[in-house]
Amino acid sequence: MSAVTRIAREEWRLWLRSKVVIAAALIIAVLLAATSFLTIDRIASEQSQRLEQQIAAEQTFFAQPDRHPHRMVHYGHYAFRPPPPLAMFEPGVDAVTGQSIFLEGHRQNTAMFADTKAAADLGGFAALTPASLYQLLLPLLLIVLGHAMFLRERESGTLAVMLAQGQSGVTLAMGKAAALLGVIVIFMLPLIGVAAFSVSAGESALAAFTLVGGYFLYLCVWGAIVLAASVILKQRAVSLGVLIFAWLFAALIVPRFAINTSSAAIDAPGKIESDLVMLAEQRKLGDGHNAADPAFQQLQAQVLEEYEVETIEELPINWRGVVASYSEAELTDLLNSYTEERMGLEASQSRMFDLFGVASPTIAISSASRTLAGTDLATHHRFLREAETLRFDFVQALNQAHAEQLDYTVDINRSNDAASSQRARINAASWQVLNEFRFEPDSADERLARSGLTLGILLGWLIFAGGVVVFAARRVKI
Amino acid sequence: MLNSLSREIRFLGKDKGAVFWLALAFTLSVIAVSFGVSEVREQRETIATLLEEDALDRASALEGHEEWGSAAYYAFHFTYAPPSDFAFASMGQRDTAPWKHRVRMLALEGQIHEADTRNANFGLVGRFDFAFLAASVAPLLLILLLYDLRASERTARRHDLLVATAGASSRLWLPRAIVRVGALATLLLAPLWVASAIEGTGAGMSLQASAIVIGSLLVWWLIVELVSRINATPSVLLTSLIGLWLALAIVVPALSKFAIEAANPVPDGGEILLLQRETVNDAWDLPKEATMDPFVAEHPEYAEHAVIEETWAWNWYYAFQQVGDQAAAPLVQQYRDARVARDRQAQIAAFLSPTSFVERSFEKLAGTDALSMIAYEDAVRDFHEELRAFHYPLMFPEAPYDEELLEDLPAYAPPS
Repeated sequence: MSAVTRIAREEWRLWLRSKVVIAAALIIAVLLAATSFLTIDRIASEQSQRLEQQIAAEQTFFAQPDRHPHRMVHYGHYAFRPPPPLAMFEPGVDAVTGQSIFLEGHRQNTAMFADTKAAADLGGFAALTPASLYQLLLPLLLIVLGHAMFLRERESGTLAVMLAQGQSGVTLAMGKAAALLGVIVIFMLPLIGVAAFSVSAGESALAAFTLVGGYFLYLCVWGAIVLAASVILKQRAVSLGVLIFAWLFAALIVPRFAINTSSAAIDAPGKIESDLVMLAEQRKLGDGHNAADPAFQQLQAQVLEEYEVETIEELPINWRGVVASYSEAELTDLLNSYTEERMGLEASQSRMFDLFGVASPTIAISSASRTLAGTDLATHHRFLREAETLRFDFVQALNQAHAEQLDYTVDINRSNDAASSQRARINAASWQVLNEFRFEPDSADERLARSGLTLGILLGWLIFAGGVVVFAARRVKI
Repeated sequence: MLNSLSREIRFLGKDKGAVFWLALAFTLSVIAVSFGVSEVREQRETIATLLEEDALDRASALEGHEEWGSAAYYAFHFTYAPPSDFAFASMGQRDTAPWKHRVRMLALEGQIHEADTRNANFGLVGRFDFAFLAASVAPLLLILLLYDLRASERTARRHDLLVATAGASSRLWLPRAIVRVGALATLLLAPLWVASAIEGTGAGMSLQASAIVIGSLLVWWLIVELVSRINATPSVLLTSLIGLWLALAIVVPALSKFAIEAANPVPDGGEILLLQRETVNDAWDLPKEATMDPFVAEHPEYAEHAVIEETWAWNWYYAFQQVGDQAAAPLVQQYRDARVARDRQAQIAAFLSPTSFVERSFEKLAGTDALSMIAYEDAVRDFHEELRAFHYPLMFPEAPYDEELLEDLPAYAPPS
């Protein structure tokens, strides 16, 4: 048996004899088990519920009776975002954003009914998830276990004996590191279990086990920090105090500070704000409901020329449908340019937040964790974009049906009497233009690529903290 | 007593550890309130800009109409909840719940659930505001300041000598602890007072906030005092205290939240929207009476003019918008009741956790708690009601369109 394993075994023997250690480890294990089961259960039911709602929304759309096509544009449709499998570990921003969105003509709505809006408010930590336990509590456990592991040898005088026997400080530190590594590996087991379960639920193994790897890296960073403090500092209470401060700083203060900073540094206007700016521009485009609007004169001349006719009544297609389609396209371009700008600003806020990972490994892991789980802001933005594509496609398909399947004269006389209104309808078979919408998480490769920066920062942390340990252990004297 | 207090103040100045924690408390407090003040200013500016833009947009939207119905269709109205003069200390629900909308006379349920909130990460991680500092970080700082009062003297082997010299042990430890708790409270609160003065917060409000902070520090002091009587090494004491902090700040709130939410299910919000949409859209294909009967049941005063002869009429259009809201009303009420019930129970559960209690109390003072957000939604509902009350008499029966009358359009007044 090598010296390293002997030292590690000795450390474990001491831990197993300590009531404080056993109690702390047990409490955390119970908490982990409880939150994991609750979160898995909640996410599984949300997942099936959203899928059912999506299918139900599609079927009610298809089941609508014969109607005027523009009525279906306003009847609208819904897009739902089911949580990805790894949300059972890391629900991420889903609780804050709302996961369903109403799609209709001429408007881009926001996602509605975020869980947080109706949540019982008990302060910032009440929304406990397995991920937040790993991020916040496990480092504390490592601190409790490890803050004195090296300096205990110093306090009890055994350090001198061991050094005299020819053990180097580095060997001793490696032994202690191996002991801590054992603890980390044991506490990785629940996460490995959840990851394996998510793979069985359809998650990519690559993403799931990169997530496991990320958390392993994170806990090793904390293990190294704890060990470094225990090697460098000479008193237990001081070492514990310094480590608690490091935890307080990294886990509680810096993340929120980073939010304040990125919010203050980059001003991303809200939707109403950018909508109002846009409305001024939109007025120039004309109102899609009113085909006689002067803004459409040019379009009219162009279309008349194309079909070589003199008046809109002579057109083989319905002029009102042409106008609706044209203005929807123009408006959507405009809406999208503002939406993209807003999302771009939010993305840069998040990038700035991620960079604070250099000051706190907790930020780095929480960002990487959301990205890998597919519950980050970027995924929400992609949901909004895909929902918008779905909206635009069905609205334009209906506008096309309006132009091609409904006669212009019948259309403009639709309000004359009940019979005219009946005539100004098209066959319900046309509603089949709606595309099926199933929101899928990003591919594992994309998520990996996106989490590259934050995982890299974590790796940097490990190299730095590990380097400090080795450097300090080399210089250990009595 | 005064003697021993001044002695302890001198000692405190020489304790580098203690000075560091106190300096940290002051710095964090300055950071928290300055971010808070700048955020509140930004929100006020946003509201001012939006009010201006909104008025311009409405003025242009109201041009050139010939019917009341079309004027009402195009005119949006900006509604908002301004941040209170104490909101800088606690942003609370303002980061996750919407506090601004633009509504018009269509079915309200299709509009009021729109959420113009900011970057989702803000709501998820939370801000470093004063409430968070006072609720979560300050207790940890207090623990770090107080846990080894006795134990450090024991480690230095002065404990028994000191106790014997002082006579009663309270004469020794009490002044020492008072000085530390007092210094921590003062350093935390000083930036808050300055910011309150700048923001024009009422003195009563600042006093209540200070009382909450001091009260919570006293509770934590009591906890530390009880634990540190155990004759154990400083690191075991600190470990136990951190464990207690975790239990009170994280575990108890999480358990309460889970239990409360399981006991008070909220109806699925999507159902509200779905019901409203189906009702509104079905109305087009139904006989006019199917809309006008439930409408008249709500507004008997228009019964005489509620027979719609035309295939299409504005007043019928708005009637079925209202009927859509009426159909969803029971679900909406259920949703609101569940939110209120959850909040009421959370208030009770907060007595089990000093951190939850402090955060909730600050949110309440700052008007950023769940009930304030509900009050804002109620204000939007009232305003929408006024819009209807303004237009219905002009539509039932249709009055000749007169642009000048629009000057009396109801104006939204935020909840105070």
